[in-house]
Amino acid sequence: VAGLSPPLTAAAPAPAFLGDARSLQKQMLESYYARLAGTGEKRPPVAYMLVGGNLTEIVRSFGYDVVFPEIVALNCAIKHQSLENILHAESMGYGLDVCGYVKNDLGLQDLGGRTSFGQIPRPDLLVCSFSGCFVYVKWWEALAESYGAPLFMFDVPYMREPTVRKEDIDYLVSQLWEFIHLLEKKTGQAFDMAALQRVLAESRRAEEGWVEYLRAGRLRPSPIEAYFEAIFYMFPINVLRGTPEASEFYRVVNEEVRARVRDGIYPLPEETFRVLVEGVPPYTNYRTFWDFFRKWGAVSVVATYPKVGGLFDRGFLHDPSRPLESIAEYSLGAYVNQSWPLRRQIISDYIQEYSADAAIIHGIKSCRSFTAGQGDLRDWLIHDKGVPTLYIESDHQDPRYFAPAQIKNRMDAFFESLEQRRAVSAQKVPA
Amino acid sequence: MTIVAGMDIGSTTAKCVVLEGQRVLGKSLSPVGVDIVKDAERALEAALADSGIARSEVSFITGTGYGRYKVYFGQLVVTEISCHARGAHFLFPGTRVVVDIGGQDTKAIRVNEKGEVVDFSMNDKCAAGTGRFLEVCANALGFDIGEIGALSLQAKRPMRVTSTCTVFAESEVASYVSRGKDPKDILAGLHASIANRTLSLMQRVGIEPEVTFTGGVSQNGGMVRALNRRLGASVNVSPLSQYMGALGAALHGQERQAGGAS
Repeated sequence: VAGLSPPLTAAAPAPAFLGDARSLQKQMLESYYARLAGTGEKRPPVAYMLVGGNLTEIVRSFGYDVVFPEIVALNCAIKHQSLENILHAESMGYGLDVCGYVKNDLGLQDLGGRTSFGQIPRPDLLVCSFSGCFVYVKWWEALAESYGAPLFMFDVPYMREPTVRKEDIDYLVSQLWEFIHLLEKKTGQAFDMAALQRVLAESRRAEEGWVEYLRAGRLRPSPIEAYFEAIFYMFPINVLRGTPEASEFYRVVNEEVRARVRDGIYPLPEETFRVLVEGVPPYTNYRTFWDFFRKWGAVSVVATYPKVGGLFDRGFLHDPSRPLESIAEYSLGAYVNQSWPLRRQIISDYIQEYSADAAIIHGIKSCRSFTAGQGDLRDWLIHDKGVPTLYIESDHQDPRYFAPAQIKNRMDAFFESLEQRRAVSAQKVPA
Repeated sequence: MTIVAGMDIGSTTAKCVVLEGQRVLGKSLSPVGVDIVKDAERALEAALADSGIARSEVSFITGTGYGRYKVYFGQLVVTEISCHARGAHFLFPGTRVVVDIGGQDTKAIRVNEKGEVVDFSMNDKCAAGTGRFLEVCANALGFDIGEIGALSLQAKRPMRVTSTCTVFAESEVASYVSRGKDPKDILAGLHASIANRTLSLMQRVGIEPEVTFTGGVSQNGGMVRALNRRLGASVNVSPLSQYMGALGAALHGQERQAGGAS
């Protein structure tokens, strides 16, 4: 059957445009988890941290490795291992509406921390680096109680206006000194500002490479998939930032992207629709969701989710000459720490800068701090900005909330309407 | 003039419309079971019998609805959102908002002056506010789904049904029954509850006259009145409202055959 809406069951071709960078990312991920599991050289101490506003560079300067339970959870989800952990957490008493990241992680920890990609080590230190979500604060408190590890709460003020206030920076820098003193006491090492600056310089190199990759989405056709592909490449910028391997990774990625442009290799043979995507992906059904885009020739040219670890493409880069102030600015600038008017402005700018035809918002049931406001965003984009926008909802961790037929139906109808509008405007003859 | 067929294979029923130009030659409505392919074939045969024409005379078939991919003998598939929009615009050209309440889905669709979809909003992944919700509650009261609309119109003191979950609403109905409440008043409350949920969906896309009511539940007079009351205006309803998806599919097929955008 030919059709406007391609069938659910038709197998989409594999994303052949992915080259060496994706293979390298897989290797880096495997060796990272192998290192954490202590199968290689002696494992360094481990700090658990949240992605938003993280203090990676400081702990790294003290010789710590970093574990992001959110990233462990998403790795479980993409490998279809999240439900078992979530169900276990629910049997421990966590309710149906508690965040999937939290339940996946707490369930996993209680089951012994074993995953198909490695043993997740116990934390030596807990750093709650994003305080904008109260559930996260409670999650870290639960981990502290469970492991008896020291807990540092980093209180980051919410961003209600675009300019960073000096009072906020001072407040955060004073907390960073408290944190440094805690690390000195715990490790017995004196804080080494030069070591921190070296880590920050390495972070900056990776950030510059990451931004170059993301901005390739401005090309027409786009040589990158700024949501489904970029999500793979978030791993080095979030987990390995501050190490030479992260900056080297983006050199490899950008070389590949330049080769794609030179050789005419694109995410899809034909870029029919250029789409902005907002929201956390349904990791449990990642390929299925991607196929829903690909079957319509839709390429995401820009997305907000890959920026949760830093809005580096909006002008901020870590600055080794202002180490602590720069880290404070970074923490304030986390994407989910922005008020909705600021998030709307970012999205509106992206749509223009990347020539997006439409926006697709994926809301997740278990995270209100990311999702609350997305319904209003949809209305604002449609009514105030004239941007065709679709809102769909499932979950990033819990496969029980992903209803493929319903989601596909909404996406098919959305792309049908885009196609109809495009056909009608092509039929119009200029006066 | 060529003859086309539109087939709407929904979650509860299969509908088929046979169309020649702007004239509906025949139609069929039948329940959907486990073998959707056979159900679709039967629906087509029934509509052909109603039209008095042979299968070979149909030059193009379009499938829509959740079972659209099971219309293997068709040439085109289109979502029911586009089809209800097109069908409603065909029957009521002034339509700007379509409300479709089917077995498991409720949709509000905003359309432009050409009948093209501008925006749409659908119920979440549960059956609250759909035909299934009414069916479950009708069963709890011991009525057939076909008679509850008329009964609800006889209510004197409509009850307030607050549960949004179908299963919980069934319990709420049982609790009213055990307290001796008049079933007609309970039914009116159920219809009002669906009208409230539907209105909030419509508000998401923007309410603008004319509103056309489609889908199986549009045949329920109690629901039409509840919606009219909530809107403060009369919705368009046609004897073909339940066939709107199939009609729209046939119209899309006509356009595709003519080389249009469909």
